[in-house]
Amino acid sequence: MLARAFEAAGLPTTSLVLLKDHAQRTKPPRALFVPFPYGFALGKPNDPEFQHRVLSTALELLNAAAGPVLAEFPEDADAPVRLLQSSMVQNINNEGDPANELTAMRRYYLQWVEQHSGRTAVGNSGIPSRRFRGLVRYLQAYVAGTPYDYQEKPAEVSQIQFMRQAADDLKAFMLEARMQQRPNHRDNELQEWFWEETAVGLLLTRLAERLKHDGEERAAFGIAR
Amino acid sequence: MPRIEDLTEIQRQTVLNFPCFEYEDAPFVRLGKPFRQIRLALVTTAGVHLRGDKTFTAGDQSYRLIPSNASARDIIQSHNSIGFDRTAVYRDLNVSFPMDRLKELVERGIIGSTTASYYSFMGAQTNPKRILEETGPEAARLLLDEGADAAILTPT
Repeated sequence: MLARAFEAAGLPTTSLVLLKDHAQRTKPPRALFVPFPYGFALGKPNDPEFQHRVLSTALELLNAAAGPVLAEFPEDADAPVRLLQSSMVQNINNEGDPANELTAMRRYYLQWVEQHSGRTAVGNSGIPSRRFRGLVRYLQAYVAGTPYDYQEKPAEVSQIQFMRQAADDLKAFMLEARMQQRPNHRDNELQEWFWEETAVGLLLTRLAERLKHDGEERAAFGIAR
Repeated sequence: MPRIEDLTEIQRQTVLNFPCFEYEDAPFVRLGKPFRQIRLALVTTAGVHLRGDKTFTAGDQSYRLIPSNASARDIIQSHNSIGFDRTAVYRDLNVSFPMDRLKELVERGIIGSTTASYYSFMGAQTNPKRILEETGPEAARLLLDEGADAAILTPT
């Protein structure tokens, strides 16, 4: 779609596409279908040479004399195909306080950030991670239907949008901390841990249920995955 | 990409119902130069942007500018979709937004240069009219103004 708009404006494009059937019908000018899941467009994180092979194959298509061109990248990346969602598992953590859990994971989180040169995926909500305990209380109050005067929510963002962003940040914090704590995980092991064993995971599951109850299905779905 | 049968039911319905504009024509502009001379732009629909920039919200068809010399720690992903595995991007931004790879292509002499600005949109839009008619062409013109010879587009 965007490729067509660019090409029509006079800029040659080549695209990586994840949906072959879609590409066959929308006909971007040059497209390389890659057999990877959403979130894995270049195939393998931290594998520069693999990523370079994907890129080169896509860039090669710029040499085509006419289009539309749809090629297929031949290598597999062994990326996990099915994303585990919270409704698929049972959370066994009935007693844990999510705020305390965040505090306990914090040192792993800080190590992850340091080892990634200051990079973290946390940041969508705008709440710094050291203030996440208050964020947890805010979400717990929403789940319980009790009023909670949360001063730190930015005024220009809706409540629902803010809670989605908060959920993204809490997930990112916990998963980055876990990847630091246990670097070698197989497919879905991270998500299984998060949704089955953590108090933060249980809080987000309850948040999603509450949102669904309040008619916010899309937000609920996004939070619970 | 997951095969249709591997997706959960709600994902299946989303994908099957995804508006798929079928076109008869296909605009096509030939690359006018050898690779090693081109200035390449990186554009994505992965919903990434500079930390502190406005986050993407549902139905947001605007773009964000990301300087090509930004570092990964200055970039976050606020894509509003219903859900995909983000742990690959947590580990390595390049898996969706290959900034480092493009730098290496220049270092290796495979391309001439990159544009100073890269652009990010948010994908998975059910009605991308504004992207097609307004913000997409605008980003293309801005890139052409910077001397872009081609753009590589990455999805979520």
